[in-house]
Amino acid sequence: MDFLEEGARRAWALLVSGDAEVYGVAFLTLKIAACATTLACAAGIPAGFLLAARPFWGRRAALTVVNTALAFPTVVVGLLLYGLLSRRGPLGGLGLLYTWQGIAIGDFLLALPVAAALSAAAVQGVDPRIRRTALTLGAGRARTAWTVAREARFALAAVITAAFGQTVAEVGAAMIVGGNIRGSTRTLTTAVALYTAQGDFGLAVALGVILLALALAVNVGLQVLQGRGGARA
Amino acid sequence: MLELRGVRQRYNGRVVLDLDSFAIAPGARVAIVGHNGSGKSTLLRILALLERPTEGEVAVDGRAARRDPAERRRITLVEQRPVLFRGTVRDNLGYGLRTRGAARGAVNERVRQVADQLDITPLLERRGEDLSDGEIQRVAVARALAVEPDVLLLDEPASSADRAAAQTLTRALAAARERRPFAVCLASHQLEDAYRWADDIRALAEGRLSPVTPENLFRVVLPDGGSAADLKHVPVGPISLAVTTEKTGPAILAVPPSDILVSREAVPTSARNVFRGHVTRLARQRPGTVHVTADVGVELVALVSEDAVRELGVVPGNDVVFAFKATAVRVF
Repeated sequence: MDFLEEGARRAWALLVSGDAEVYGVAFLTLKIAACATTLACAAGIPAGFLLAARPFWGRRAALTVVNTALAFPTVVVGLLLYGLLSRRGPLGGLGLLYTWQGIAIGDFLLALPVAAALSAAAVQGVDPRIRRTALTLGAGRARTAWTVAREARFALAAVITAAFGQTVAEVGAAMIVGGNIRGSTRTLTTAVALYTAQGDFGLAVALGVILLALALAVNVGLQVLQGRGGARA
Repeated sequence: MLELRGVRQRYNGRVVLDLDSFAIAPGARVAIVGHNGSGKSTLLRILALLERPTEGEVAVDGRAARRDPAERRRITLVEQRPVLFRGTVRDNLGYGLRTRGAARGAVNERVRQVADQLDITPLLERRGEDLSDGEIQRVAVARALAVEPDVLLLDEPASSADRAAAQTLTRALAAARERRPFAVCLASHQLEDAYRWADDIRALAEGRLSPVTPENLFRVVLPDGGSAADLKHVPVGPISLAVTTEKTGPAILAVPPSDILVSREAVPTSARNVFRGHVTRLARQRPGTVHVTADVGVELVALVSEDAVRELGVVPGNDVVFAFKATAVRVF
């Protein structure tokens, strides 16, 4: 257990000393997670609404695909994306391999089914009378969807939290697509993997503690926003 | 203005509604009476354009319904157990108006009006979770009245209301219709509600319009004089019904079938109405219950259990005694 204590002490020391590399890695991790989460929620939440709102042909199959995608191994997604983005791949011309944007795309692909599946479950959990009441009072599709979303606000906030959790903790795709390049594509998770492999447990634990602190701070921030929203309405 | 043509609705292959035609004329006051599970709520959801029938067509003003927001805004449904959106009662009352793009001042003024009509002004700043079922029902009716629909559909509108609240609802509806005529169609399992709210009553049984009018209803003229404590003996055909009421003049008497005691011989009871007759028919309505129709001078229907029918030997042609208390007779 000594190395955990040492790790906590080093994490504190690194944060207090303003270590440029550590802060750089933490900011990059946050930037990638924020981009991927935003994109995944922007696409996944409306997709979840479509899947849950009303029956259509192929809906069950679509739900099965989304739920299966939840269990996609991150390294497999990384591998597929590597194949697409590598120089000989169909998207090689975009030059996204070994860039933070490439990692963000990988994280987006992994968080998308999370956002879609959980928001579909959130919408399905809303009392169907809410939708009917909005419609009978004259609301159009968009307003009805907004009304349903307001009723499912806590579940939808959990969707954002879960998507962020998925992206900030992701390591397999980030390692394969990003390459763990120092100062360029090294994230907190890939750095932890690297330093653990090098036997520098203290630094690995320190970065792990920073990662946990980051996730905690974002979750607390989301909860505060939820609380304010609840108080206002 | 609202019409169903050849409508059938199936849930999991089971037909729950089967109507060749059903129409609500502009300004009509229609009541649909039927037991729980008779298809009333399904019918209202189809009329409200919230549910598509498996077969058949819904027509608005003679044309097939388009189901767009503009058309839906003309028809508003208040469900049996209505829900309020998150936010205050004021937010809820203004919802429909905001969807129509009404200005804030107009919304506030209309909210004030309907809250006043339904006696819910003190509730305006409260939230749905702080209200009783009866209060939620009144808020839901006010929310529907706020948008001034051409057809207002009410599913058991007084199921959670006490007597005073039910009267407030009736008064508010009457006042709203006086100011601006609109059609009202309500579903209820209680004849009392139906007669209080409507003048066109249609019975629904197992999803079909029943040609039989609700049982044990008699148009009478109540004699003058007496207090509520005094029994009035009201002639109904060749018999006379004992009734407790202060009302006088034209009225409708209703005897709920479940309040009639059936026996083969007259037995001493507190019932002031005891009639001897003979059984004309038996009809099994729901599992375990039988409607026993007897000719006692007029036709009366009693609701009894299958066991009781068997044990008493109640079969068509047999003599039978129907008894019910004067207080069981409803007066409208």
